[in-house]
Amino acid sequence: MDVAAAPRPRTAKRWHPLVITISILRLGGIGINTRFWVSIGLLGAIVVFGLLGPTLLGKRDPLRIVGGLYDPPSSQVWLGTDNFGRDVFTQLMYGTRTSLTIGLIAGAVATLIGVAVGTLAGFRGGTIEEALMGITNVVITIPSIVILILLSIAIASRSIVVMGVIIGITSWPWTARAVRAQTASLRAREHLDLARLSGAGTVSLILVDIIPYMLSYIFMAFVLQFASGILQEAALSLLGLGPTNTISLGIMLHWSLLWEAVRTGAWWAFFPPTVFLTIIAFALLLLQSSLDELFNPRLRRK
Amino acid sequence: MRSDDRMMTGRTVHRLTRRRFLEVTLATGVMAAGSLLASCRQEAATPVPGGQTPATGPTIVTTPGAVTEFPRNETFFVAGFQWGPPTTFNPMTPGTGWPAGQGFNTPFQHLYETLFGFNLLTGGLEPRLGQRLEQPDPATMVITLHAGTKWQDGQPLTADDVIFTFELAKDHPEVPHNTFFDYVATISKVDDRTIRLELQKDRLNPGFVKLLLSGVKILPKHIWEARAKSGQTLTEIVDTEPVGSGPYKLVGFSPERIALQRDDNYWGIAVFGTPAPKYIVHPIFKSNDEGNLALEQGRVDISQQFVPKIWEMWEKKNLPVGTWFKQPPYHVPGSIPLLFINVNKKPWDNPALRRALAHAINYAQIAELAMSRYSITANSSLIIPDGAEQKFFDQANVERNGWKHDPQRAVQILEQELGAKKGNDGIYVLPDGTRLGPFKVECPYGWTDWQTALELVAQSAKDVGIEINTEFPDAPVLFTRIPNGDFELALWFVNGVSPASPWIRFRDVLDSRGVPPVGQRAFWNYNRYNNPAVADLLDRAAAAQSEAEQKELFTELDRIFMRDAPAIPLMYRPLEFYEYNESVWTGFPNSGNPVAPPQQGGAGIKILYVIKPKS
Repeated sequence: MDVAAAPRPRTAKRWHPLVITISILRLGGIGINTRFWVSIGLLGAIVVFGLLGPTLLGKRDPLRIVGGLYDPPSSQVWLGTDNFGRDVFTQLMYGTRTSLTIGLIAGAVATLIGVAVGTLAGFRGGTIEEALMGITNVVITIPSIVILILLSIAIASRSIVVMGVIIGITSWPWTARAVRAQTASLRAREHLDLARLSGAGTVSLILVDIIPYMLSYIFMAFVLQFASGILQEAALSLLGLGPTNTISLGIMLHWSLLWEAVRTGAWWAFFPPTVFLTIIAFALLLLQSSLDELFNPRLRRK
Repeated sequence: MRSDDRMMTGRTVHRLTRRRFLEVTLATGVMAAGSLLASCRQEAATPVPGGQTPATGPTIVTTPGAVTEFPRNETFFVAGFQWGPPTTFNPMTPGTGWPAGQGFNTPFQHLYETLFGFNLLTGGLEPRLGQRLEQPDPATMVITLHAGTKWQDGQPLTADDVIFTFELAKDHPEVPHNTFFDYVATISKVDDRTIRLELQKDRLNPGFVKLLLSGVKILPKHIWEARAKSGQTLTEIVDTEPVGSGPYKLVGFSPERIALQRDDNYWGIAVFGTPAPKYIVHPIFKSNDEGNLALEQGRVDISQQFVPKIWEMWEKKNLPVGTWFKQPPYHVPGSIPLLFINVNKKPWDNPALRRALAHAINYAQIAELAMSRYSITANSSLIIPDGAEQKFFDQANVERNGWKHDPQRAVQILEQELGAKKGNDGIYVLPDGTRLGPFKVECPYGWTDWQTALELVAQSAKDVGIEINTEFPDAPVLFTRIPNGDFELALWFVNGVSPASPWIRFRDVLDSRGVPPVGQRAFWNYNRYNNPAVADLLDRAAAAQSEAEQKELFTELDRIFMRDAPAIPLMYRPLEFYEYNESVWTGFPNSGNPVAPPQQGGAGIKILYVIKPKS
């Protein structure tokens, strides 16, 4: 018997840590597309600018008056001054921070409400579903900007958190509807029957056996809500209903419009915040669509 | 809130109306507002800012057979007085179509005329329908009309029309001059050309009567008598075919524009000559930017809109654009927006705290930034230190008793006079534990220069240790709350320069007579300041026969004002912004060529007689 001819016993393949890292990043060979990296890069840059900028460049008060009415950019004021004579560059840093914070809070609140309503309705069905979806459908027909405006007027002093919550509680219905549909399809799966047999209650079933199965979807919904939260804040601020006693990208645009920055040629007052809003919204949508492709094999590019 | 937007625009698109709202109010705020308060003790009309159409819904009326072709070199384009579609040209309706209305401070003479035209530079009255105003004794005025005055329909205009118009005040409380007979005992006809006024001897106030003589538009008795007798509320009458006595006739209006054509049968041609433009058109812009761009491009010849950094138009862009002065402040000051402090709300009942705030505010910064350099640095006086009121201004009084931007002095008052201690957050706390803030300061949304001024006030106050937050509700909200005394700190208007100023401004701020308690609508003294010493001084100042005597009394009133600081002047605004583009018409008056005052109402009608077409 030719021992040498015997097949070699298969040894377990040892993974080099670097290979593991790469494979995690490539998600087991699925391959994260360029769009993902572009969006992460853009978002990272914006977040660093907004969160670390003020710390790195020395904390400056964005509301401090340093110059005259629409002074052009100079070595002192890199992006000129606004109509109050305040440094536009500093405002841009703090404004980005405010806008991101409001977007984050709004996205979180909207996703939370949407998921709670959607899963409960989808899982319980029956009267509860009818009632919850009825409410959702009613809310969905009212243009959210109207509710936003009314709420903003009613609340005299609007902090950043309050603004985020206001935007969040008016933008959850679409999430709720989509989540309900997902939940309804998950409800019929076998693992839920098993869990039910082992005595799990509604809340536990939803948290343990439903939500994890659509986490990818919820995350994408959150990213979209985040982006729309930032844009909603800008829309409200543009109308003069933004957060009080602070600066945001929308507030910068608001004052630049009131003081006719476009006609007077003070591009530094309206162009940077517009660009920032565009980049943030663009990066978040790019992130969402690349994640969508990642999570949904059917959309994957060859 | 939206209903008010609709009132003005007939639109429901939110963004647009909100923007529109802001421009309407910005452009016409102080000017129109002044007119509301000029006399209205029992003002019946809704006090909405001028330039807006009454609440008649979105009905759009257009005159049939209107003139639609306007040769550019014969047409004079005006901007800044009419926003929203015009619906009526009844001169008594608040917010009526230009140029029928605009109240006592800017009484246009194009269509309807007043007896005299007020000149904001000299403070004098210039002839219009009236040729002469004589005062044989302090309590009598005799007015002589020009020869040949007639209406645009050919009927003669006589003393009967004048008396009819003023006597409407007797049984029509809704008319704007409803307080006429508080100050005038009788108005009588001497002959067809002569009218005699006997003033109330116990309320002698020739200045106020002159305000009405230069502000009330004379109506044709043959048309309005029937309307007055019909029992209708006069302000509600919709008049789309106005018959006035002025040099221009209304020949067309639409939501896009109001058009006037010169009346070549005008009675005044023999007296004043012929105005240069054959047509006058007021395009109705959707926003301030649009109107300002039109001025920049020469599509508008004269504008009353707030144009930030207008000097760049000639300094940088070399455009033939001008204002009254070529240097700051570019405009003649005509009114004082005042920061009213509620003297009955703790801790603001302490004048020391009010004076501390007055010292904290950086007035130069407000003039530079909020007013785009269109104001000189505000003084602590209620008298405008330029133009018609300059003769009453007492610089020494301001220096001795007033305030100026001095943060150290503010801190000194807080610490030494009030015994306040600075907390860890940088905000002072009074000995009784009251923290100085957060206080609320308000002005209407969209009055951008005011909003900016208040942001600067808040910033200055924070720097010395008083926390003030800004809030900008919609104008109609404040038009109710501020006269009712329901505010803490608010930027609001009082009467601008007029034949009755500065008396009327001192009354607006200091007089507690005729002011109802908090919760009811006051027409002056919104913060319910009360000082028994004021009444006698005011009455004496109103009746004073010599300028020297008046100045002495005003100085004393000003001293009381500066001691108690119930309000703080933040800046000066012109009565009207005066901006022209000489691309088509030239020869506009300015400080180097002061042939007419920088105003389109009152004596400023002369502008139309001195300009010439370029080609």
